[in-house]
Formats: sequence, C-alpha cells, structure tokens
Amino acid sequence: MPFNQKPQKFNAKIQSVTIGTGDKTMTLGGENVLPFYTFDGEIENAPKVGVEISDMAAETFAPSIKAYYGEGASMADMAKKAAAMEGADFVALYLEGGDPNGADKPVDELIAVVKEVADAIDCPLVVEGCKNVEKDSELLNKVAEALQGRNVLVMSAKEENYKNVGASVGLAYKQIVGAESAVDINLAKQLNVVTTQLGVAPENIVMNVGTAAVGYGYEYVVSTMDRIRGAALSQNDTMLQMPIITPVASETWGTKEASASEEDMPEWGPAEDRGINMEIMTAAADLVSGSNAVILRHPQSVKTIAKMIKELV
Amino acid sequence: MLLFDIVFNGNDTMYAEACEAVDAAIAKFGEEKAVGFPDTAYTLACYYAETGNKITNLKEAKEALTYIKTLMTRNRRLHDGFMSGVATALSAELIEAMKYIDGAKPYEEPYLGHMTDAQIRELGVPLVTGDIPGIAVIINAAPTVEEACALVKSYQSQGNFVCLVGGIIEQLKEANYKTGFNVRVFPIGENISSVAHAVSAACRTAMIFGNITPGDKAALQEYTFNRFRAFVNAFAPLDEKTVACGAGAIYYGFPVVTNDMDYTPSVPKSLIKQPNIEDFNATSIEARDIKIKITNVDIPVAFASAFEGEIIRRGDMQVEFDGSRVDCAELVHTVEAAEIEDHKITVVGPEVDDMELGSKNNIAYVVKVAGRNMQADFEPVIERKFHNYINCIEGVYHTGQRDMQRIRISKDAFAAGFKIKHIGEVLYSQVKNEFDAVVDKCEVVIYTDPAECTRVRHEIAIPTFEKRDARLATLTDESVDVYYSCILCQAFSPSHVCVVTPERLGLCGAVSWLDAKATKELDPEGPCQIITKERVIDEELGAYEDVNEAVQKYSRGALEKVTLYSIMQDPMTSCGCFECICGIEPFSNGVVIANREYTGMTPLGMTFPEMASMTGGGVQTPGFMGHGKHFIGSKKFMKAEGGIERIVWMPKELKETVADRLNATAKELYGIDNFTDMVGDETIAEDPETLVAYLTEKGHPALGLDPMM
Repeated sequence: MPFNQKPQKFNAKIQSVTIGTGDKTMTLGGENVLPFYTFDGEIENAPKVGVEISDMAAETFAPSIKAYYGEGASMADMAKKAAAMEGADFVALYLEGGDPNGADKPVDELIAVVKEVADAIDCPLVVEGCKNVEKDSELLNKVAEALQGRNVLVMSAKEENYKNVGASVGLAYKQIVGAESAVDINLAKQLNVVTTQLGVAPENIVMNVGTAAVGYGYEYVVSTMDRIRGAALSQNDTMLQMPIITPVASETWGTKEASASEEDMPEWGPAEDRGINMEIMTAAADLVSGSNAVILRHPQSVKTIAKMIKELV
Repeated sequence: MLLFDIVFNGNDTMYAEACEAVDAAIAKFGEEKAVGFPDTAYTLACYYAETGNKITNLKEAKEALTYIKTLMTRNRRLHDGFMSGVATALSAELIEAMKYIDGAKPYEEPYLGHMTDAQIRELGVPLVTGDIPGIAVIINAAPTVEEACALVKSYQSQGNFVCLVGGIIEQLKEANYKTGFNVRVFPIGENISSVAHAVSAACRTAMIFGNITPGDKAALQEYTFNRFRAFVNAFAPLDEKTVACGAGAIYYGFPVVTNDMDYTPSVPKSLIKQPNIEDFNATSIEARDIKIKITNVDIPVAFASAFEGEIIRRGDMQVEFDGSRVDCAELVHTVEAAEIEDHKITVVGPEVDDMELGSKNNIAYVVKVAGRNMQADFEPVIERKFHNYINCIEGVYHTGQRDMQRIRISKDAFAAGFKIKHIGEVLYSQVKNEFDAVVDKCEVVIYTDPAECTRVRHEIAIPTFEKRDARLATLTDESVDVYYSCILCQAFSPSHVCVVTPERLGLCGAVSWLDAKATKELDPEGPCQIITKERVIDEELGAYEDVNEAVQKYSRGALEKVTLYSIMQDPMTSCGCFECICGIEPFSNGVVIANREYTGMTPLGMTFPEMASMTGGGVQTPGFMGHGKHFIGSKKFMKAEGGIERIVWMPKELKETVADRLNATAKELYGIDNFTDMVGDETIAEDPETLVAYLTEKGHPALGLDPMM
C-alpha cells in the first residue's frame, strides 16, 4: 500500500513576536504546525539560539566557557564575542549579580552593565533579571527605561510582580515582556490573561513556561510544553499562543553532571564534555517540545543546536 | 443661577482668555512659531488625545480654537455641560502652552507646571500596580493652613499622588511643607488654567499605558473613568472657571468634592458637597472607589508566617481567652458601607494591662465589612482565615473557631507593648489585603467586657452561625443556578477537573461550593470557573451538556463527559488528592470506602494506595471514585446507583466521623435507623465472605438491590 501523507493542519498559529530593531531583528513563532513538523506545513521562523552572558560570569561560568571570552574580558567584549559565536541569533544578558541573596549589586551598577552591553552589539537582546521578585520589579523597570527604542525582551514578569514588570516593560517603555510561570499550563495561561488585561498586547509577550535540566524532573517540562502547544494549535487557545523561550544554560551548568570536576569523578570523563552534553540534550528536547528559542552558553552547544535547527527546518 | 449657566459662563471666560493668549502670541511671534511643552512626545496632550491632532505651531493653535468652539453648545443638557467642561480644559491647555513658547520657563519653585513624559512613565507604573492608589487634585486654599496640611498629609500617607492648584500651594509653603514629584506632592500653578497639566497627565497615561488611539474619545473617556483613579477636591469659593473645569473632570470620571455649599444640585458620586474638611479624604476615596494598599501592619511585635506554628505555654503566657470556658466569639459581619468607618478599631472593655497575669478572659471580635462585591456567603471564608492571621503574630497563639476559639498572649508580646487593639489591626490589614476584591471598607470591634461578650455571643454570633448552617443544609444541587470547576490540581494531574456542587464538594475535601464561589470572585481568572447547568441530559445521573462541555474545555479534550451522581457511568475523575476512595464490592452489590489515613486491608483485597492507583491521574475507572469525606453523608452520593444504602464497609474511624450525617441521611431517604451499625469495618471483616455474612445478619439493604454490573 502506498504511503498516503495526511498533513496535520491547524486553524490556529503561534503568535509572531519580533525582537530587536533595524535590519537586525528576529521573529519568534508564527508557525501553525507542531515543532519541526515541516512535512505538515512551512515553519516560517526557525527556532532561535541565544548566547547567555552574565555580570557574574567571572565567578559563576564554567572554566571552559570563561576560556572562550578570555581573562578579564569587559562586558562589552563579552557581548561582542557572544554575538559573534557561530550559530548565535541573539545575546541574553543575565543580571545575576542583582540577587539580594548573592552579590546584591545596586540597580544603577547593573543598568551601567546593561547599557555597556547594549551599546556594544546591534543584534537582538534579551535581558534576564536576577530572579528575585522584589529586586526584579525595580531592576527590570529601569532596564526597560534604559533600553527605550531597542525593542528588547525583558525577562521575566511572574505571578507576583507581573503588574510592575508588565506595566513598565510592556506599557511604559514598549519592550517585549517575558512571562514566566513554573511548569504548569494553567498558571502559564493565567499569567498571560492577567498580563493582557493589564494592557500588554499578546504580540508583545513571550512565555518562559519553566524549565529544568534533563534528568531533573524534566518530563514535567516536556508535558507542559506539549500541552501548551496542543492547546494553542488544536484548541486555538489565544492565551497560550505566545512563543516560548527557554533559558537552558542557567539550569544545566548548575547540575552535578556539568560541574563535578574530573578529579572527583574520573569515571565520568572530562567536565567540559559533560556540561556541553547536558546543555545540548536539554536544549534539543526543549525545542522539539515546543520552545521557539533557547538560551545557551557554550560555543559548542550553540553551534550544535544551530546546526540541528538548520537541518530540521 | 443654574449650574449649567455657571459652567457655560466659566467655559466662555476660559475660552476668551485662550483666544486672547493665542492672538497675543501670534502678534508677538508670528503664526509659524513652534508650540509645545518640554520633554514630551505628545504635544499638546489633551487636545491630541481628544482629537488625534497635534498642535505644533501657533497657526494650528488658532485652528484648535475653532474646533474648541464647536464643543461649546449651549443647550441645558448634560452633554452640553460635559463638552463645555472638555472645552474649558482644552482652552486651559492652550493658555498654558502659550506660556512655554520660545523655551520659556513660566513656573518657578514651588510651582512645577508641566509634567514630563519620563515623570508620567514613572507615575504610571505604580498607578497600574495600585502602589499609587489614587490621584488627588486639590484646588484653591483650604479654610486654614492646618487643614490644608492635614488633608495633603492624609492622601500622602495612603500613597496617593497629590496635585495642587491655586492658594493651597502658598499655604503649604507657609507651613514649610515639603513638596515635589519625589514626595508625591506636585504643586502645579497658581491659576486655574494650570489644572490642564493634570488633565494632560491623565491623557498621556491613557495614550502610553492604555494604548488609546489619539482621537478615540470614547476609549479615552473609558480609560480615564476606569483606570485613572483621580478625583478633585475644590475649596470654596469656587469661581465659574473652576466649576467649568469641574464639569470636565466629571466627564473624565473624576468626582469633585467641595465645601462650597452654594452650588446645587449635588450629583451622587460626581459632585459631592462635604462641609467638613476632615471628611474630604474618606468621601473622596469612597466616591472614586479607591483601594488603599496596606503595606505594613502597625503592631509592636513581628507579623510573619514564621510564627504560625508558635505555641505559648502556660508559664510564658500573660493572659488567655478561652471560648470553651467563657463567652467568646469571632465573626465577620457584612454591613452597608455607610454604617462603618474604614480602619476604625474599637476595644470595648479592659485592655491587656487591666487583666490579671495568667487570667482567663472573654473576647469577642466582630469584623464588619462592606463592599459592592461582598456577599454573606463569603463571611465564613474570611472568618476561617482568622486563625491563620492571629497565629502569625509573634507571641500570640490561636486555635479553634466560631465561639470556641482560644487565644494566648505571651509575656514577651505583652512586654513589647502588644494590646488587644493590635489584634484588630492585624485582622483589619489582612482582611483588606487578602480580600480586597470584595471588601472595600472594614471596621473592627473587639469586646473584652464579659457582659458584652455574652451578649455578642448569644445574640449575634450564635444566631448567625445557626443561620449559616441552615443555609448550608438547605443548599442543594437543585437550589443553585451554577456549579464550579476546580483545576487547582492540574499541575500534577493534567487532565483532571473537579465539578464542585453544593452537595458534592471537591474530592480533596478542601473546596466546597461556597469556597469555589468565593475563589471565583477573589481570583476571576483562577482555578474555579462557573459551570452553568441549563441543559440537563439526565437528572438521575447528574448529566448535563454544560458540565460535559466544561470538562472538555478544562481538561483540554482529555475528558469527554462526566456524571455527577454515578460511580458506574462516566464517573468524575480524581487528581490524587482524594480524602476517600469508594470501590465496588461485587459480592454484596455494594461499595467499600477507604480513607487516606487507613493503612489496613479492605474487603476488596486492596489497600488504600492500591485503590488509589486505579483512581487517580484524571482517568475514569467505572466502579472506582475519589471523593471528600463530607460527600459520604450526601443525598447525592452515587444517587444513580441507589445512594448511600450501597455502602457496606468503611474503616471504623471514618465510620465514626461520618456517622451523624450518614445516619440522618439514611433515616430521611430510607427510614433506616442507625444505618452505620449495618456497615462493616475492619474489626468485623477484611474479606468479602465474612463481610457478606455480617451484612446478611444485619439485614443490610444493599443485599436486596440489583447488581451494579
């Protein structure tokens, strides 16, 4: 019997969101097929790969990644090198040092970093806060203000601070709002609903629906993304049609598989390889589950994932 | 003179002044001269928002005057009054714009005049989040400097942003009162035309934060009305121009409160006469429906969930209150807004200082609440949180509820200055914060006087509790119009949906129909949504098209249909949090119920965890069903299969817990006395043969029923 292909057509599609300005923009989403189902329909905008840099890179990044940027690299140098990485579509600046339970850098100091990075590159930029809800309310407001006109993605508005972050990032300074929820389709939807009720347009929202490193309760992530994409396409749920971005590196490089030294774990092989493997495995799984963008750190991972996307789309 | 005529006259005067100012500017600079305020992309914001046209030079300003004139119709109708108000504001904006020509700086400290776009953005974010609850625009001098300062202070302490126009600015200056954008007191200008800068702030907020298209008048008005929570306080005497501006304010949704008693009539919620300056704040906040955020609880000890589990032993105790020994009560009482004063806390009777060390005392607290969305059904939902609130106070311990609560105050808390009234502070702040969707005003009365406590307990509290219990008892699936969905557990059980009805609470036992209703009101986009019950398929099974559509929607297609009253046909699914599982027992034509706490064997040959593996995860397994303990005594319990007379076995402890309700239901439905005596338990049988023998001996009705499968 001949194979009779029946394309799975949906009468709904993922919202397109454009980040960046000028001729260096990128668009996430826009497809009306399941991830990489190019045989069902065209995927207009291939998933994107971002390179994460951090104001705390010197302390927190793995030695192999630090080596790429070189000893004593300034934030501007790092940004340029990140943007130049093979396969990179955008740069993600993680303001890790703002965390009150960590370095607790003042907002002004972080804004100077943001400006330095933004001035050094012209590719699309994503700024990630320090993940402390209260500090981020203030910090992300200032980030959005400092980058007026750059059309950056600011992450993240969460249930606890979506009003502050949504109002400043999405309304006052018209940037793209990252809406972050913790691996739960209903919470993801609820956050999108209340953020749009605030006045932020759906085409200015990108979701981070939560993530984990493979092997760390990761099946919840797959199931959540799967169901969100299912609801968006098969049920035309407009409040779940925002594209998904997934910060991978900050999860995977913290696992023991990536961080244990070779002296401690000789049977596991070189630490660098393990870190890259964790990052690639997680990112690949995120993308096939429905992420429209992933944020990585290691040049090898960025190159590999970019190649995978290129081969499949 | 009629109010209309005053508005029209004031409008005419302001318009004439605007024409004069524009003409004078043209004479001086020529028509091509640029017009605009500094540091704004929205020039001139009021006119731009209203018409969609920017005014960039004097020629366009002159044309704008022609347009403004068209708004100034003179029929004595509300519309004409409002449009004249808008025309007054637009005229005022032009007057102000003329002052700024050629980079002039018309305002000097303390006057600030125009607000920059950056300031609007800074102001807009806390306005959207509610951190700035409202914007007060105060016009003219207060009767005294003291009253001026007190009024501004009252708004400022609530976090409101205050704009000042006219004489009050001099008054604050005289009192050395600190003003400026950063302290949220913004003195605009001396003349009434400067109020245009406040209107401009509203219009720019609408365009920046509301995405209002310039020129979309209806959307602009809707935005300012619903989202820009401004109001006006205007001190006597009001001149005609000020009244005309007031008409504009009311058009945009900003109520005007004045002590000028000459103007008639007053218009409820719009033009309010208030002779007492000290009541301006409360009157304004209520008229504009402003919710004040409470950021700190004003008590001398800490308040945090960390103290929730703290136990105060007798030796550490200063005083205690014990509802099991003396008359006590805790109660939420819904009243009309006019009957109470927000944040008023009254203690009737002795304070802690007057009580003997280690003594047992009376206490009764009545939390009076008012709100447009408040319903008496929410009272117990709020009340149930008291335990948690009072326990979170450092050095205070609370158990029990209703009129059986027990409170201890530690010696340390007493030494730190903790008083009875602080319990009121805690209850007030927490109720206002957590229930702000339904509670607009809240007042607390705490009785410690023994005679008063006896009165409150017996004459108010107990009758209220009885009324509530009676309502709960009469609340049936038939007597309500809607059911509720609950998907709180979908995080770990993605395809499960609970349908919560009055007679069938959520299977976790924690979400009753009233809880679900309150959840919907407090969190409109949250886990509990309304399910209508208009299209009945089968009353006996509890099958509805509406219910099926809802479970399809909320399970995202995983579930097609459920029945409310059958365990065999499309039984309701379970997440995994069920208090109990009921499973079919074929030998007796009955069902066995096991509760989560029960660790032994059931006559089904399965333990609770084994039954749970058949039932959880949102799958439908006919013959097995998860449910709450309370559901066991319900008349709807597997009603389609004959109801509770199918119950043949329960663990002893569970049987004792549910006995009263179950026996009452059995008596009512089947005329059986002491039904639970017929029901087996683990002390009687853990296998089907022994169980059937016991049931036969007791004449259990299930044996005579049709087989369930």
